Amino acid sequence: MTDDDAGGDGPSGGGSAAPSPRDRAFDALDRLVAASATERLLISGSALLLSIAVGFLLILVAGRMTSCDTAAYTLFGVGFCYDPVLVYDSLFLGAFGDFLANPLNGQFATTVSETTVLVFTGVAVAVAFKAGVFNIGGQGQLVFGALASALAVYAVAGALSGFVGTVVLVAFGLAVGAFVGGAYGAIPGALKAYADANEVITTIMLNFVATSVALYLASGPFKDPESFANQTRRLPEYALFPQPLFPARANASMVALVLAVVVAVGIAYLLRRTSFGYDVRTSGIQPEAAEYGGVDAARTVVSSMALSGALAGLGGAVYVLTIAGNFQTGVPDYGFDGITVSILAGNNPVGAVAAALLFGVLKSGSIIVDVSTDVPPQLVGVLRGLIVLFVAMPEFFRMIGKRVDVRDRLGGSRDAVATDGGEEA
Amino acid sequence: MSADLGGRLDAVGTRGAVAGAAALVAVLALGGLVVAGSGGTAAAVLGLLFSKSTLAAALRLSVPIAFAALGGIFAEKSGVINIGLEGLLIISAFAGVYATSVTGSVWLGVVGGVVASTLMALLFAIVCIEFRADQIIAGLAIWLIALGLAPFASQVVFGSKNASAGATFPDIQQLFADSGVPVLSTAVVSALDTLGSIPFFGALFEASPMVYLMFVAVGASWWTLNRTSFGRWVRASGENPRALDTAGVDVSRVRYAAVLLSGVLAGVGGAALSLSLGQFVGNGPTMVNGKGFIAIVTYLLGNYNPVGALLSTMLFAGLDALQFSLQGQDVLAIPQSLVRTIPYVSVIVVLALFGRTRIPEAAGEHYESGEE
Repeated sequence: MTDDDAGGDGPSGGGSAAPSPRDRAFDALDRLVAASATERLLISGSALLLSIAVGFLLILVAGRMTSCDTAAYTLFGVGFCYDPVLVYDSLFLGAFGDFLANPLNGQFATTVSETTVLVFTGVAVAVAFKAGVFNIGGQGQLVFGALASALAVYAVAGALSGFVGTVVLVAFGLAVGAFVGGAYGAIPGALKAYADANEVITTIMLNFVATSVALYLASGPFKDPESFANQTRRLPEYALFPQPLFPARANASMVALVLAVVVAVGIAYLLRRTSFGYDVRTSGIQPEAAEYGGVDAARTVVSSMALSGALAGLGGAVYVLTIAGNFQTGVPDYGFDGITVSILAGNNPVGAVAAALLFGVLKSGSIIVDVSTDVPPQLVGVLRGLIVLFVAMPEFFRMIGKRVDVRDRLGGSRDAVATDGGEEA
Repeated sequence: MSADLGGRLDAVGTRGAVAGAAALVAVLALGGLVVAGSGGTAAAVLGLLFSKSTLAAALRLSVPIAFAALGGIFAEKSGVINIGLEGLLIISAFAGVYATSVTGSVWLGVVGGVVASTLMALLFAIVCIEFRADQIIAGLAIWLIALGLAPFASQVVFGSKNASAGATFPDIQQLFADSGVPVLSTAVVSALDTLGSIPFFGALFEASPMVYLMFVAVGASWWTLNRTSFGRWVRASGENPRALDTAGVDVSRVRYAAVLLSGVLAGVGGAALSLSLGQFVGNGPTMVNGKGFIAIVTYLLGNYNPVGALLSTMLFAGLDALQFSLQGQDVLAIPQSLVRTIPYVSVIVVLALFGRTRIPEAAGEHYESGEE
């Protein structure tokens, strides 16, 4: 295998004499960055549009499978019970509420808070991907991070109060969430590094374990005795993220969103400019060359999975400290959405912010779809899967591109976002 | 070249059996640990473990996992890692219930499940083979699509994420009794009745027809893989596609056939799962609840040998059945939400102990005829 393995049949010279594997890997990285950024963006955009189109058909088909008195939508003389235009209108615009009249409305607040959590899970998946490991366990790491954060903050909240209390408690809650999520993420990392256990399977299994254990803890030892639901005791208001803009009942914090963006940018810097980031990226693209160049492969896998888990755990802590206010069983699918966010963003941490916003809109919009139409909100889940599917097949879009005679001037890498390490976008 | 390849494939088969047996011992030891950990109630747990109802439940729970595992073996042996088995199970579990409620027949329900799952597998095959998608990500997408689509469709046609079909499989005795054939409906039924009263193994004679179909499918899969030219092509496609291409066999067509076969098999498994209860549960991770992923582990553990996969399936299903019995009987003081993690934890332990299975040489790679 030569060094152009990661770039498929890209232009990198397999036979040319290169001074050292380190330089060679660096060259390959640079070429990939230059070649694939525009293409990635085009592919993600096309995948999104195609998913929306397939979703449109799905709504029509679903509309034929149910019965209604009057057709909500007519196309070519055929009546359909669901109106796809209305559904997409609710899905995309519903997320903003009546934005012009009141930018701080409840619906937009939901979009902001969903986006905030998704930035963390999206960046979490991206970090692991960069190192060539596939972290599907974001959900489990987030659940444990959320639970630990809720319990730890509750335990010490009584000792503090006021503004200082907020600063200390929120920071403490975030730290606990990150630590616990990181520890839980390190388990599949260590299993992969030292026992060669496939991380795709182990992380999925650990999700099931986390959900069950969290259910046990939140319905047993740490249950709020005054509630019928399986949840922990509610945290006092001063222990939660401050909400300087949104009204108190909106459960959204611009402070948390800013923190999420800062973390995403910080991770991008970490991956790009530090030696740890260099190890992670070369391990993802060329494990053999990385190891030859002095990178400890096993340690890189464990530390990048721990970092990935820590980010997911942070997401869990933010979920508790902005949205939930305590730990409740039945945490939404942030971990799985994080996979889509990362894949859509080409595993770029900063791009994940934009992709997270898109999914924040979809998640918040799905509530409006549920309320204002008869179409089941699980539609968003289908769209999520379709986006992942379409992003995985760039070859399809290249073929279409050639058909409509867009010259193949982008060149560069042929491979999709792959489990053997994503490239820079 | 081809003799050499044949020799290599045979060697893999033997190794598979050895690894399967070793894994069996390991998981039994794990089960022993669970029992030992419970202290004084060990006897009660052992009693439950060897009760007829536990075996009956284990057989029933094996069906979806075993069918999905057989499907996974064909796909991966041909060089396509099908991590979307979970999604295929989910979609066929729903389609089986839907088709049953429309047609009124569980058997047509199974057909419906198989059709839905095969269509999904076709989508997966096109994406992976035609458009050279990363197999792991495409498989993940299949899972995510099914995870959204099945509850969505259930909500549309039944008005709820959970739906019932109003019919379940008859057990084997009932099937013979209803057959109307004189000898079958009398002598065989009374023989089954007698055999069914045997303490532990009696469960084997009272099972759903899908359990017997599972045993048949395992035998047929083994035979197909090891004794037919299609099986040889599948194995060669995963080990050395170039050689297969040189021999004049279209690698893509072999891979399409193998992936579609994985859709058919997983379809039977998914429909069997939902129709044995007569119900589809679309809440949370749906009623499939990781069984597709466990299936992947069972065939890795059985080293791609259908018989080995069945044995490891029985172990995981046995743990699951025991878990159900423990919940029902209240033998242990361990809360049920923790007991429920036993199958998942054992998957992780097994993977950690036997992570280094030898996957087919070309699995996960694209192949294009004439490629350098």
